[in-house]
Amino acid sequence: MICFKYTRTDGAEYLSHLDLMRHIMRTLRRAGIELEKSEGYHAHPRLFLNSPPPLGIPSVAEYGTAATAFGGDFMSLFNEFSPSGIKCLAAKYSQNNPNYANSITSCRYEAEGIDRFDPNLILGLEHIGITDLRGRLVDIRPRICAIEWQGSVLTFTLGAGENNLRADLFCTYLADKFGGRAERILKTDSFGEGVF
Amino acid sequence: MTVDLLKLKDLLLSVEKPSRYTGGEYGADAKEDAPFYFCMAFPDLYEVGMSNLGTKIVAESFRRRGYCADFCFTPYKDFGEGIRKLGVPLYSLALRKPLGEFDMVGFSLQYELCYTNMLYMLDLAGIPLRREERQGGKYPLIVVGGPCAVNPEPIADFVDIVFIGDGESIDADVADIYLECGGATDEFYRRISALDGVYVPALTQVKYTDDGRICGFEGITRVKRAIVDDLDGAPFPPTQPVPNLESVFDRSIIEVMRGCYRGCRFCQAGFIYRPVRQRSVETLTRQACSLIASTGYEEVSLNSLSTGDYTKLRELIKSLKQNLPSDVTLALPSLRVDSFDGEFAQDARRISLTFAPEAGTQRLRDVINKDITEDEIINAAKSAFDMGYSAVKLYFMTGLPTETEEDLKGIRRICDLIKGAYNASPRKKALRISVSVSTFVPKPFTPFQWEKQISHEELTAHHEALKKLLFIKGVSLSLSHFETSVLEAVLARGDRRLSAVIESAYKKGCVFDGWIADFKVEAWKQAFEECGISPDEYTRERGEDEILPWDFIDIGVTKDFYLKERRAAYAADVSGSCLKKCNACGLMKRCPAARGEI
Repeated sequence: MICFKYTRTDGAEYLSHLDLMRHIMRTLRRAGIELEKSEGYHAHPRLFLNSPPPLGIPSVAEYGTAATAFGGDFMSLFNEFSPSGIKCLAAKYSQNNPNYANSITSCRYEAEGIDRFDPNLILGLEHIGITDLRGRLVDIRPRICAIEWQGSVLTFTLGAGENNLRADLFCTYLADKFGGRAERILKTDSFGEGVF
Repeated sequence: MTVDLLKLKDLLLSVEKPSRYTGGEYGADAKEDAPFYFCMAFPDLYEVGMSNLGTKIVAESFRRRGYCADFCFTPYKDFGEGIRKLGVPLYSLALRKPLGEFDMVGFSLQYELCYTNMLYMLDLAGIPLRREERQGGKYPLIVVGGPCAVNPEPIADFVDIVFIGDGESIDADVADIYLECGGATDEFYRRISALDGVYVPALTQVKYTDDGRICGFEGITRVKRAIVDDLDGAPFPPTQPVPNLESVFDRSIIEVMRGCYRGCRFCQAGFIYRPVRQRSVETLTRQACSLIASTGYEEVSLNSLSTGDYTKLRELIKSLKQNLPSDVTLALPSLRVDSFDGEFAQDARRISLTFAPEAGTQRLRDVINKDITEDEIINAAKSAFDMGYSAVKLYFMTGLPTETEEDLKGIRRICDLIKGAYNASPRKKALRISVSVSTFVPKPFTPFQWEKQISHEELTAHHEALKKLLFIKGVSLSLSHFETSVLEAVLARGDRRLSAVIESAYKKGCVFDGWIADFKVEAWKQAFEECGISPDEYTRERGEDEILPWDFIDIGVTKDFYLKERRAAYAADVSGSCLKKCNACGLMKRCPAARGEI
């Protein structure tokens, strides 16, 4: 298996997850990297991606696994044949599928445009209730791992997978509370078993 | 200027399918530094336009000469109104460059109901709709091509140039002349109007009698269609842009031949693409291999008006199977029932098969020159069922000349015979038959160009009869919308006076007229009323001695031939395929079949 880290930028952040899967599969076909197929009645290529970030949030820390016997320079070939917004940043061979959809437990983002505030005003709270996109009241505090200012850029680490917190919802919460508006949100890192 | 996606972020997040508007498609190659900038505009949604092969061929003809060729599609209203509010002009996809900054914007007119979409795109781009409002060289040349361009008169007031015929032979020549003349000068128009396939509406004037009928043309009174004789040597894109989202036909497409041997009398494409020109097996194999390698698709579609008539189909399929990766499937979307062959359909997905008998009885099929018999329809269905198909789609038309109640009953009879053929052997699944009945639209450059369009009352009666006739288990019926068919007929058979109606309808909010949910029949009615124009004037039967709005365009097929075919239709005489004998349509000198080369 080949595990690879890739970008989702330059318009690719607006692709649906299914379309993204299709693009990566076609990239691999163009590159001549043959994917193994599942053994069911409707055999499908074995390609596994991490849970997608919300639509419209670019990322330089997406992960995927391709089940393939390919032994060449995966990254160079991938980048030669991929659309401009989907580029491989690193690749490595692995015996097992890390199952990034489950193994990634948190992700770091950066954002600009939110008015400056003391991160302890958030991190010091025990509970933070917000209404999610389905209209449910949820406590997001356990899903906030870190908040830090780096110059004018706010960096923050949020839960992923089962404890997922959408970066855009979090930024809206911060903007409502402290003012400003998150203009540029970028997913910069993913954390969990198997990431590299 | 490049449009910054970041500025559009909130809008993109609020619209349906934002990746229609972001660009970045793999294989969409548009030069940033070029002597000439061409934008291929498609007046329909991204998913529809991305499936169109013709636009990609035209774009390739520009690229081969070192020019920039970019793409743009009609944004749906959510995005269109959004960019209008933000003050962002409509932009191309690869370079994200506003349409107004191109040297030429070319619209591919595939069907008449997209005319308002063309105006919508111009409007969103900040380009004045009417030619007379675009003087001074400040705006790009607005050009059109595609099948509807054979009668461009209804949109004549909006466009600078109309390309008639095979676009890859002529469009980029005009760009060359544009550069040589230093822009759209008088000399430029004089030079291009001498070329086959180029119509400059400003150089032709239409004369009307007091009762509103056309009595002649002045200025340039003859425009010949451009024809590519050798398809093997014609531009064809070695790669195609891979759409960001699933398009209507999400696969590689090759064009095995252009034109059709059959000459069905209702079919405009069968006449305006004459003569039939085939690509060689070697060329098609090379093109298919190149497309599969460069796109990553897993399917190749062998397109033409009637792929079963490609004389080397067996050889082609063998060659493709030998040269393409083994998991690539072949799609043959245009097989006639008399050319349906189990071997050809083996590769197609066995979900549903579509046959187009077009008429319910042999008599009416003979009238329209649809040279297939009932036995051929049933035998083709039997072959399909034996291969595992359990669903059949049947296409028919109503409103055809000489149609009677018996012809409607004939549709029921065909369904019964197909059901009988299916049930003659034990099958695992129940048969599904989908019958689609569209309204016949008499089109220019067909032997039926003089016919009247069926009236609303007659059509309603036909629809009611069909609903009763086809109310049977396992058969679903789909009927076309009357108002859109009438509008299609009016715009297809119209003259220049309709430009005012189209503009008025657009200003009343008419866009995406081909999409029933968006079609605004009342707005169109008001537009006709305000312009003092009756649609009936365009749907009536035309006299054979009348001057038709498109008579100054020379497609290559003679008017005598259309008249002869019209007489044959009324006598229910079948002319038969050009492969059997030449019917002397007027293009004999340019026709490989007439020369005995096929």
